[in-house]
Amino acid sequence: MTTEISHINVQYSKTIGRGEQFGPGFNYPVFVARGKDDIMYVLCRGTEFRPEGVRVTVCTTEEEYITTFARGVNYQGPHEFNMDDGSLVWPTSIALDSHENLFISDEWLNRISSFSKDGDFLGKWEERSGTGDGELDRPSGMAFDADDNLYIVDSGNHRVQKFNKDGKFLMKFGEYGSGDGQFDMPWGITIDSHGDIFIADWRNDRIQKFSPDGTFLMKFGESGSGEGQFNRPTGVAVDRDGVIYVADWLNDRLQIFDENGNFVGLKTGEAGISKWAKDKLDANAEMWEERRRAQGLEREKDFWGPTGVTVDDQGRIFVPESARNRIQVYQTQSSTFAGPRL
Amino acid sequence: MSDQDISLIAHLMRRAGFGAPLEELQARAAKGYDATVDELLDPESQPPMERDIMMRYKVDWLSQAGLEGQQEEWTYRMINSKRPLQEKIALFWHCVLVTGHAKCEYPKQQALELDMFRTVGMGSFHELLNGLAKDPAMVFYLDNCMSHAGAINENWGRELLELFSLGVGMDGDFNYSEDDVKAAARAFTGWTVTNSIPRYPYGKYDAKFMFDPRDHDTGEKTFLGETGNFNGQDIVDIIVKQPATARFVARHLYNFFVADEPQVPAWKDTPPNDAAAIKELEDEYFRSNYNISSMLNVLFKSDWFKAAKFAKVKSPAETVVGTLKLVGDFKFPRPGLDMMTMNIRFMGQDLLNPPTVEGWHTGREWIDSGTLVERINFTADQVGNVNHSGVKNIINRVGSLGPVLTADQLVDGCLENLGAYQISDVTRTQLVELAAAEGEIRTDSEGFPLRVATMLQSIVATTEYLFA
Repeated sequence: MTTEISHINVQYSKTIGRGEQFGPGFNYPVFVARGKDDIMYVLCRGTEFRPEGVRVTVCTTEEEYITTFARGVNYQGPHEFNMDDGSLVWPTSIALDSHENLFISDEWLNRISSFSKDGDFLGKWEERSGTGDGELDRPSGMAFDADDNLYIVDSGNHRVQKFNKDGKFLMKFGEYGSGDGQFDMPWGITIDSHGDIFIADWRNDRIQKFSPDGTFLMKFGESGSGEGQFNRPTGVAVDRDGVIYVADWLNDRLQIFDENGNFVGLKTGEAGISKWAKDKLDANAEMWEERRRAQGLEREKDFWGPTGVTVDDQGRIFVPESARNRIQVYQTQSSTFAGPRL
Repeated sequence: MSDQDISLIAHLMRRAGFGAPLEELQARAAKGYDATVDELLDPESQPPMERDIMMRYKVDWLSQAGLEGQQEEWTYRMINSKRPLQEKIALFWHCVLVTGHAKCEYPKQQALELDMFRTVGMGSFHELLNGLAKDPAMVFYLDNCMSHAGAINENWGRELLELFSLGVGMDGDFNYSEDDVKAAARAFTGWTVTNSIPRYPYGKYDAKFMFDPRDHDTGEKTFLGETGNFNGQDIVDIIVKQPATARFVARHLYNFFVADEPQVPAWKDTPPNDAAAIKELEDEYFRSNYNISSMLNVLFKSDWFKAAKFAKVKSPAETVVGTLKLVGDFKFPRPGLDMMTMNIRFMGQDLLNPPTVEGWHTGREWIDSGTLVERINFTADQVGNVNHSGVKNIINRVGSLGPVLTADQLVDGCLENLGAYQISDVTRTQLVELAAAEGEIRTDSEGFPLRVATMLQSIVATTEYLFA
């Protein structure tokens, strides 16, 4: 029997957030974008019967609340939606350009809207529902490359499209299917430091990797609940060392792979009480007592439906859980030995 | 295939499901009536709902943390399930074995209860009652978690007998006594749920049933003439073998699936409308060892069911779901369903949140001056929307009858497409006059779609369309 020692070490760091319709907190968070310094933009999907919960919450990684923008707005009827500039109906992801402007996809309006980092509405691409080049059907994940070109997962059309920042179509790859380079309702996307593109091929239960021009490079994963298997992966992220993280949605876990797609480990959740959560509990002291009496409180640690994964340049991994209105944060440990001299 | 075949299949699908567009009725009629019943009674033979897709777009359907989202999801299921009887039986049991959101510690518990109705609701009534007694939603709703050895709370014990199994009485006699209620409550002491995790900051968690032997009354009890050291399981065992339980289940099935019966509080002194039919169902209850699917098989294949077309007032859920299914809307998750679902509430049936533990009164009690207006406005709005794919299909089918239609053809074509509806001669004469009043009916004319839509709206506003 041989023992394999992996250089990849991921540890739980902390939990951010709590459930709130307004102010400090989240409402069905589905995606996290990391800005400069410690800023994070959390995309809250909300619900249709409480559309004020649809928004971007801006805060720091230390849970300092900053602002909220792009609020959802009530619509007038079941077939009449608010198309006003800056409104969101079914937001799916945020991509930050080199100036830290936010581009937000809306998979119901088939619209890409942009905002400044302060929340000012900057503009939107023209309406483009359809199947042709440059047209969209339920856009989900998005990512900018180093040249500020935007790759969009065009989930309903089972493909990825590349645009310049102004929305001009540049190229596309993928089609419906389960073969190499084909997709079935893909969701998340990330671009690594080499410019290669990783796609969470959602209904094929796998991750696919492509070169910047869309050439298929590799794939890993299959349907199931074992190690390296997926049940509808929603998001994928790659850290500075090439380690791959996958939000394994209906298996309620985060899986970790090396740069070749080999399974390294998994996390089922270690959530604790966040700063905002503690504030809430302190303000409702009877809940501390309820928690003391509660049976099965250890379940609070577990992931429930992780809907994305984001890695920042400090090796921190952010996993939003829409059903729990929180973000679990993990930290990659350096592989370089930094202990004292022996 | 004859018009009779379509008419009969349409009747079956209204009762065992939520209706169906004409193309589905034709396909099922070609397959045959008995084969369709067999398929409906075997839901596992059909594909399940694609919950991954549902939860991807409607993110709150994963956590099921609120009433509105749950109502919306259930409506979506009722519209789209390939297992219509599975959803219909869930609705049936929800209307009988009642819990309510207004007294629910965690809304998802009701969703889990519905799942139990889907999976067990067509199986053994014995198993179903056992599941109900351990269902955290029910334990909390009827306070059994507050019933302790030496200090019983009779709520669950009473409703189990009165509203969930025996009924107050039959054939003029009482089915149980106050002592039986107390004995049942004592037997169920210690049947409780785990202490819950508070809602803040991360939302609730499923409760679990637990038996606490320290809080169980171990004394001797006499229940329905039997004496022993009974626990809750023993009580259920005794209940299911009672003739009154067979009568109770049979009358509920008849009232929901066949024809409107007197309301439940009257059952002690008011005999069934069709005593022979109820007797057949009672016999099957015992013959099949309390199997609901077997009772439904007898019911759907009986002559008295086939003869009971339009003998029931549609419930609000049947009205809204049937209409949305007909017009082909919400076949895939999209925004706006929450507003549609609200119409069920506006018509008097706040799903998952019934007014009392007795559930809703049915039949003509669904209709009053307010709910009637809601009903007609909703259905007329939907069938009058020529952009709906289902309405377009109806327009095309009616339009294919010929280049120029008579008023009779327009009326009959619309009636057939709405599910082979049958109307009185008086109503028919009025509709034909209405159709004729607008002049020649050319199917290639620009105004033809609107004429079909207008006729559909006129039909759904009739008294006859209130019935299923």
